[in-house]
Amino acid sequence: MKINKKIINKIEGEATLKIYEEKDIIDFVEIEFWQYRGIEKYLQNRHYMDALVINPRVCGICGHSHLLATAKAIENAFGAKITQKAKILREITTGLEIIQNHIKWFYITLFPTQIKDRSFTLKALRLSSFISKIIALISGQFPHNSYIIPGGVTCDLTNLEIFKLEDMLKMLMDEIQAVIDKDGNSRDLEKFFENLPKNIGKSLNRFLVLGDNLFFSKNGKTEKIKEEKTTSLYSNVLYEDKFYEVGPLARNINNSLVKKIYEKYEDSIYTRIFARLYEINLIIEYLLENIKNIDVCEPSYIKPVVNNASGISVIEAPRGSLIHKVEIKDEKIKSYEIIVPTQFNLSNGTKENPSAAQAALMSERKEYLDTIFKCFDICAVCVTH
Amino acid sequence: MRLKPKIIWIDGVGCNGCSHSFFNYPEISSFFENFELLYHPLLDSDEFNVQNCDILIIEGALKSNFSRLGKDLNSLISELFLKAKKIIALGTCAVYGGIFGKGLVFDKNEKGKFYKCRDRVINIPGCPSHPEWIMYVLNMIKNDKKIALDEFNRPVEIFSYTSHMGCTRNEYFEWKIDAQDFGSKEGCLFYYQGCQGPFTHSSCNKILWNEVNSKPRAGTPCFGCTEVSFPKKDLFKTETFMGIPANIPLGVSKRAYLTISGIAKSLTNERLTKKLIECENEDKQKDN
Repeated sequence: MKINKKIINKIEGEATLKIYEEKDIIDFVEIEFWQYRGIEKYLQNRHYMDALVINPRVCGICGHSHLLATAKAIENAFGAKITQKAKILREITTGLEIIQNHIKWFYITLFPTQIKDRSFTLKALRLSSFISKIIALISGQFPHNSYIIPGGVTCDLTNLEIFKLEDMLKMLMDEIQAVIDKDGNSRDLEKFFENLPKNIGKSLNRFLVLGDNLFFSKNGKTEKIKEEKTTSLYSNVLYEDKFYEVGPLARNINNSLVKKIYEKYEDSIYTRIFARLYEINLIIEYLLENIKNIDVCEPSYIKPVVNNASGISVIEAPRGSLIHKVEIKDEKIKSYEIIVPTQFNLSNGTKENPSAAQAALMSERKEYLDTIFKCFDICAVCVTH
Repeated sequence: MRLKPKIIWIDGVGCNGCSHSFFNYPEISSFFENFELLYHPLLDSDEFNVQNCDILIIEGALKSNFSRLGKDLNSLISELFLKAKKIIALGTCAVYGGIFGKGLVFDKNEKGKFYKCRDRVINIPGCPSHPEWIMYVLNMIKNDKKIALDEFNRPVEIFSYTSHMGCTRNEYFEWKIDAQDFGSKEGCLFYYQGCQGPFTHSSCNKILWNEVNSKPRAGTPCFGCTEVSFPKKDLFKTETFMGIPANIPLGVSKRAYLTISGIAKSLTNERLTKKLIECENEDKQKDN
């Protein structure tokens, strides 16, 4: 048995893999992250509102989800209420963040593992900068705004912006049809699989959804989560002492189209990639239905009553369930804890009890390692928060 | 500089937000036409090699015992500094240290590890940096144009503005009318909500974000993210001294500022004390 160390980069940072292999077949892979940034510690003794500025800086591609999770954790601590208008605006900006993430992941992260062609990168950047613009129209800028605050949102839009947003969403919907259409047809997805088997990378077949934002429904309870130290600088995350897969496949597995593909290919890379891409259509459709319910006359913000309390929030972020926990005393943060989706999927388990990414790599040919690993859409900066 | 300057782009300790911000540059294809990207932390490129380059872009802060590309981050950056003609410290982390570590030329207000090399470094702070600021600096270097810099090595053409300039809430600032709370079109965020616009060097309200907006326009205070003090404590609160903002607009004496504020406050602008748009509940309208 050979053991090789390999640094995988271009995953919003890097991970180190220790690959156990026999004749180019992967026997087992250990996952390590050797960076640590210390955001949770940095937040201690700061005013709880500061977390709305600091936490988006966990991540440049999904920081807006960290903002929503922060505001919701504080709201849960205070028992704060928000208006329907604020809720819909939050769903639009965080939903769009998921879409820009998926587009960049597919064309910029995953595509080059099979096909080297800059035109796909440019296609992704053209689309994602348009999506960022829609987010910015509501939130001020993207990435790194702080317009979601406990009690609502800071912006106060007029009908002019709401109609413009609707038009932009419709235009985005049209553009997305060239990526993947409403029936799930995608020329680019088929091109990606031209020289790649569709049934590799099968994993645990255990799916977990803990957030219920947008149209997602939970299938588990956050209390059953446990963190466990690894040999490198991050923690494993288990649910009822087992590893689970989180993310777009987990939360869309009951969609009829995703289910049909799942029945044929099980939880292989093809199903996982399809679910992630197809989710884009589902999100835009949901946002277009909901934008009609915005009443600009509703308040943007309801001032919450501040007290000493703890709060926890769980949302579905681009890569899966994201958990934030905050403890507030005298308006200051006493403690803060973040669990990110990549920790679920990329926990460092054992050969007998592997995590989702480890299981997907076992018994596969080494040449597929990069593609299978990256199909989980890894966020190294989130892991190393 | 050469026809197609060679760029190495490295991520230190940060969030990759400056890369993602740069990706929003609307005319991004011109970047690929005019520059050769030898390495980038997110975009597809050849395997990383320590090699000569025309422009080294460093995003993220320096930190000891931090591993990057199989090397210690600080020594990796030192090696690359020797190989680069020009260096861009990209984003507040690389410029001053920001949340996560130390800057290249500055470690907060102190001299940084690469202070001695500051003649070759251009600082573009911001959390994140604005895509147009980055493209501007790249184009200036490519065209051999001299970039005028301020005392923090920031390009004057970008950072001689304050983020207050062009803010849609300027009229409220003129008449000293504060925002009653968050979530309203009306009122200036400088008096209570912590807005640092009047003393932050940045062109956020001139060169808008994503071509459409800025934080203060969206009701969020400016957090001063292009300055060495970012992120200060109590970001949503205005620091006051005897009821007066502790930080006053750049270039004016405290006495002069107090005089003009007192006069403005005593002369009421009726129009600005009301809501811009009176919103009648739609149900009520139907009843009528």
